[in-house]
Amino acid sequence: MAQPATLYAGRRFTAIAIFIAAAVGLIGRGIDLQFRDRQFLQSHGDARILREVRTPAHRGIIVDRLGEPLAISTPVSSVWANPRKLSLSPEQWRRLATTLDVDRGMLRSVVAARRDKDFVYLKRQVPPDIAARVTAGGFQGVGIDREFRRYYPAGEVAAHLLGFTNVDDNGQEGLELAYDHYLRGSPGAKRVIKDNLGRVVENVENVRTAVPGQNLVLSIDKRIQYVAYRELKAAVFANRAQSGTMVILDSRTGEVLAMVNQPSYNPNNRSGLRGEYFRNRAVTDVFEPGSTLKPFTIAAALETGEFRPTTPIETNPGFFTVGQYKVRDVHNYGTLNVASVITKSSNVGAAKIALALEPRRLWQMLSAVGFGALTNTGFPGEAPGRLTDFRHWREIEQATLAFGYGLSANALQLARAYTAFANGGTLTPVSFLRLDRAPPGRRVVSPATAQEIRAMLETVIRSGTGRLAHIAGYRVAGKTGTVHKTTARGYAEDRYLSLFAGMVPASNPRLVAVVVVDDPRNGEYFGGRVAAPVFSRVMQEALRLLNIPPDEPLENGEQMYAYVPPASPESFDDMGHRPEP
Amino acid sequence: MSTGVAARDLDAGRERDERAQQPEGAFASNDPWLLSGVIALLAIGLVMMTSASITVADRNYGDALYFLWRQLVALGIGLCLSIGVLRTPLEMLQRLSSFLLLFALLLLVLVVVPGVGHEVNGSMRWMKIGPLTLQASEVAKPCVVLYLAAYLVRHGDQVRTQFIGFIKPILVLMIVAVLLLLEPDYGAAAVLFTTCLGMLFLAGVSLQRFSLWGVVAVAALATVAMLKAYRLTRLMTFTDPWADPYDTGFQLTQALIAFGRGEWFGVGLGSSIQKMFYLPEVHTDFVFAVIAEELGFAGTATVIVLFLFVVWRCFHIGGEALRSGRAFQSYIANGVGLLLGLQAFVNIGVNMGVLPTKGLPLPFISYGSNNLMMSCVAVALVLRAAHESRRPPRVWSKKVPHAN
Repeated sequence: MAQPATLYAGRRFTAIAIFIAAAVGLIGRGIDLQFRDRQFLQSHGDARILREVRTPAHRGIIVDRLGEPLAISTPVSSVWANPRKLSLSPEQWRRLATTLDVDRGMLRSVVAARRDKDFVYLKRQVPPDIAARVTAGGFQGVGIDREFRRYYPAGEVAAHLLGFTNVDDNGQEGLELAYDHYLRGSPGAKRVIKDNLGRVVENVENVRTAVPGQNLVLSIDKRIQYVAYRELKAAVFANRAQSGTMVILDSRTGEVLAMVNQPSYNPNNRSGLRGEYFRNRAVTDVFEPGSTLKPFTIAAALETGEFRPTTPIETNPGFFTVGQYKVRDVHNYGTLNVASVITKSSNVGAAKIALALEPRRLWQMLSAVGFGALTNTGFPGEAPGRLTDFRHWREIEQATLAFGYGLSANALQLARAYTAFANGGTLTPVSFLRLDRAPPGRRVVSPATAQEIRAMLETVIRSGTGRLAHIAGYRVAGKTGTVHKTTARGYAEDRYLSLFAGMVPASNPRLVAVVVVDDPRNGEYFGGRVAAPVFSRVMQEALRLLNIPPDEPLENGEQMYAYVPPASPESFDDMGHRPEP
Repeated sequence: MSTGVAARDLDAGRERDERAQQPEGAFASNDPWLLSGVIALLAIGLVMMTSASITVADRNYGDALYFLWRQLVALGIGLCLSIGVLRTPLEMLQRLSSFLLLFALLLLVLVVVPGVGHEVNGSMRWMKIGPLTLQASEVAKPCVVLYLAAYLVRHGDQVRTQFIGFIKPILVLMIVAVLLLLEPDYGAAAVLFTTCLGMLFLAGVSLQRFSLWGVVAVAALATVAMLKAYRLTRLMTFTDPWADPYDTGFQLTQALIAFGRGEWFGVGLGSSIQKMFYLPEVHTDFVFAVIAEELGFAGTATVIVLFLFVVWRCFHIGGEALRSGRAFQSYIANGVGLLLGLQAFVNIGVNMGVLPTKGLPLPFISYGSNNLMMSCVAVALVLRAAHESRRPPRVWSKKVPHAN
């Protein structure tokens, strides 16, 4: 009988030997992997787990001249998904869609569209509490990123001026775009270890520190901006106008104190808005300045030395012909002088004066005050307007140019041009940024001429077409304008632009403003009836806010509120009639 | 020496006493070496399985220790079963071995019946009985080992000397293997089949016949694998996982990266990155890769040596049993040593990319209640075998092997 115990001991040793050999082999393989191949394996591992992520830089805030915030960046979260790792139950889909307040079907299609990718935003810029609920929801493959969202405390009041940024925090419109390089910081980068769901589990090293953007101090006075916006909006509404614009400049420094437009929009919620709402009409839209241009014609005439304010101008019989065209006034003003051409806003008078000038002299004046040239503020989308070369002028063009037809300008250009009269004859460059001191200006008319024009413009308020621009306690100088709108088929018979350009206090002007009301359709359309009251209401508030002392003692019985003159439609007629054949 | 004789007489007397008051004595003389090795593996396993599963558990169940609690429950049940086994005379199991095989076959059939079996990831391996999930292949493992051990005792000479004796158990094993392949569970089929071949080898089957059948078995498994081309491709991916590291080679390359990151002493307990959803099956089949990453070469070598120690101890007990004339106990110890050792080394080989990727748990360490309970029961069988074989030779017994 064989004894199994001794018989098969060899086989057991064989089996143990095989296991020992296997263990030695595995340990050897371990040395291979964990020591010899580790660099290869680790580099492959790093390629899968190490990621460089962007650390967003804080965009500079925008404040007004007094430090009031106009645009600030607030931290928000963006919710994203990794479509390849996403696994949600129908119930979770429903919950996620509800939490994010988006349509469930849309959510799924967004993810489905990038099925083979690793990243898709589900919703960007959600408030922190929503982000916290997403995190708590435990949705597999869904993550949160920190971002900044722009918030505009002034809302629609400064919407066009400031513009806005896009979802990636880049300036898209307005000053946000113009000063984007200045406001934007440079994002940093850090190397992190991410888990396979894309979440950061460990910060490894800082590659680049994020540099926050610089803060921007604007020349805007938020208080005046608000008043201007309120009054313009009321006027556009009351006159059932299509749109409106107002620009207020500090005449000494060229700083823009306010710039408002109607219609406006809420920059904090732009959903469903078309591009046209975003236009800053004050710089992007040009119009024919009409009668508001006459002071420059007169100034050119005075500068020649051949005209004095008292030089008589014959306008009888209220029209005259230039070639085959006829230039008309509304009334026959009879014999006027240079000053009362402004007061009465006589087209015939202005045209006759202009025709008496060398074309070059008139062109030089208009060109010197900035017509046809950009304001150099760098505001995006500015339209320079049009001022044709005098060498191509026909006689009728020279005549109509005198009362503001045949050239175009934007509201900011018109306001800047008026600073020449306000500022003793020097034109200051305009600025959207607060300035510490007035920049050097450029002399465009003599101080005497500027003084004389201001005096003429005062008569417009005192006894001419601009009486509704009157401000109790202050001397106001200004000019009204009512312009036929141009359409694709020439001048529209019944559509107007109501204008007012003025300055206050006239004795030593501090503020210059232009009001444009486009296509008023509530009966009134004269600049003196529609635009001038806006000027009055806004400027009396602005004067008070800026502590500018009154320069006209109150007369007996006059109250410190807007002066309402007797209404007589003709007295406001400053119509620049289109030339007729 | 008279005292020696007296001592032996005393022992004999105590032996009779013990038999009278079975099974309390089962705890008295088990093998402390095997026990310590297994306890060490269990301890490492609980810690590393928990560490590996934390991220997945937290993500999917909101409880980082979700798998630990479940594994502890399984361990508790496993220990209760083990105590039961330790108190059960192996003779009883020997008599029941045919029923155990039938029971295992029944489970293996039931599990592939649609409606009864529970499908996960395309495999029908589980059955739900109330709160319990039963994995048929894990139940089958000790049953088949017990059956084969008993068969070898009954027909030992026939198996060694006649062709028919050898082929009968092989046919039974074929049925078990086919049922496992139906699930499919290739890993379990391969391990169980190899275990049984190993038991036949250790029982003294002639090498010629053995090698012939070994070739046939390998050919059969290879044919099954090649029947479907995708299976072959998947099978061979392990030879060069970097050829397609983001698709077919994804799991393996992640595991290998874990080894590379671990270096000598690891990135530190709990600091694995690969467990951050990069490495699939991280707390089950690929827990060894996390050990490699967190504990480094020191950890992997320790685990390999511990498994080797456990296997050697099983074989040692098997030898002891045979020397004391207890063939059944010996075959059981051998079988369990093979079963645990093969599972462990195949799993580690898979983790290291030297064997094709097959779903196979690492005994005592991977998460999985059925495998943990099976491993505990298997160890208990060996401990019982050690206990029984360290009694004096039972010359009076009718169940002496090769009595004819």
